[in-house]
Amino acid sequence: MTAVRTTPPGTTPPPRLPVREKSAAQGQGGGLSPMLNRLAAERATGVLERERGSLYLAEGRVVHAESPLAPGLDVLLLAHGTLSPAVWQDAVERADEDYGIARLLLDAGRVPRGALELCHLEAVFDAAYFALAPSSTPGRFHYGARHRLGALSPVPVGAVERETLRRRALLDRLWPDPATDGSPLRRSEAVAAPAPTARQSAVLALADGIRTAPDIARELGRQAFHTLVDARRLAAAGLLSALFPPPGPHRLPTGFPPRHALPATGSPAAADPTAGVIAPGAPMTGAPAAAGLPAPPVPDAPQGIALPRVNDPDITLLKRLRDALEAL
Amino acid sequence: MFRGKMPEDSPSTHTLRSFFITQPNGGREGESTVPGIDECLLEAMRLPGARGAALVDWTSGLALGAVGEFPGGDHEAAAAEAAEVARLTAEQRAFTPDGHDGPFGHEDREGAAGAADPPVEDLIISNRDSYHVLRFVPTSFDSSVFLHVWLARSDGNLALARIRLGEMAERLVLG
Repeated sequence: MTAVRTTPPGTTPPPRLPVREKSAAQGQGGGLSPMLNRLAAERATGVLERERGSLYLAEGRVVHAESPLAPGLDVLLLAHGTLSPAVWQDAVERADEDYGIARLLLDAGRVPRGALELCHLEAVFDAAYFALAPSSTPGRFHYGARHRLGALSPVPVGAVERETLRRRALLDRLWPDPATDGSPLRRSEAVAAPAPTARQSAVLALADGIRTAPDIARELGRQAFHTLVDARRLAAAGLLSALFPPPGPHRLPTGFPPRHALPATGSPAAADPTAGVIAPGAPMTGAPAAAGLPAPPVPDAPQGIALPRVNDPDITLLKRLRDALEAL
Repeated sequence: MFRGKMPEDSPSTHTLRSFFITQPNGGREGESTVPGIDECLLEAMRLPGARGAALVDWTSGLALGAVGEFPGGDHEAAAAEAAEVARLTAEQRAFTPDGHDGPFGHEDREGAAGAADPPVEDLIISNRDSYHVLRFVPTSFDSSVFLHVWLARSDGNLALARIRLGEMAERLVLG
């Protein structure tokens, strides 16, 4: 490539154009959680609790992960009838330190080993993506804590960190606006949009102006990250938009929800067609409360997004152009 | 790209092929009774000419398991690239058979059979020195995974690899 000098020699180069925080945050590289790396190095066993999820370690390797934003292994296995709820519940009750849930299920022949390993690994990387998200509070580690599932297929910490970074980059490449990750989603009219795939159609059908992408994932019994990918692709196509202002991390519950705390499908708010047509930029007066969620304490706009969230194809195109230029 | 020389045993290639094709399935020594992901991949590595085998999620590009070598020497990068091809194949209506009610229909969510029933069985890519066989894995829970096997062209047997990978995919999730 030819280097072009844009400033005449001897003059001061112009200052760099301002760049949003996004690129600075990505620059920190592999150090997703220095604490996690330290724990891996000392081959620690226990649970690392972070703002958006927990990582269970056994001798420095990740054996399990949980996040309130990602459907757990139980949701994935029960949603489509791979296991019956009674069988799962029985294993949960009988599990102890030596015989984890996984081993009980395998020994009883309730689920094939390959299927369980596959589903578990997917659930671990899914929850780890959220657990390793940037957080405002320091993580805590409880030595010695074990998950009732038991060790199934341990994953090196480095692999989990690399995959989490790769997933962030993947989402950013699909559609650089993270609003669809955590905000209520609604369908939007698009001009000459590509037809959604069958998997995307299932996501679209549940986008009612109240549910967020993790809510939809839970309802479909799907990995949350898969739903984030579909939401970003649909947003890029103009078929889906995030409602503004996003409740964001404010609506995160402080503790983990009880198991099987699936959101009710027939909530009264879901049937309210007006919930999805809130004017862009207007404060959402009722929709979060109607959905039974704690209302965001202060509906402050996230940093870096000062524009009203409108769904004009021209503005969408201009934003993509801006993001592409910034990424150069 | 040349990564490691294949053994020069071309005279035996033809007999080798017919030997493997006529070999009855199952009952071979060393067969694992409890196939997990690793056992499944190791079995795939016993295919003639196998250079690498991986189980990959085509939505995220995650390699859930990998054995052997991969093009470019990086199995994670190879998985991400293969995932992109697999995703496009699975999502195109042109490759969906008649009567397949949506590639991953959730119309009857209570019906246990096939939460993830891929519209495509497998995908074969050949180049001058190798074959890639991507076998979609149907699961009873929601997923988007495929088995990826890289075969040396001199020893690889596509027909055999297709059949075996289909069996392996089934055993992996059905036991």
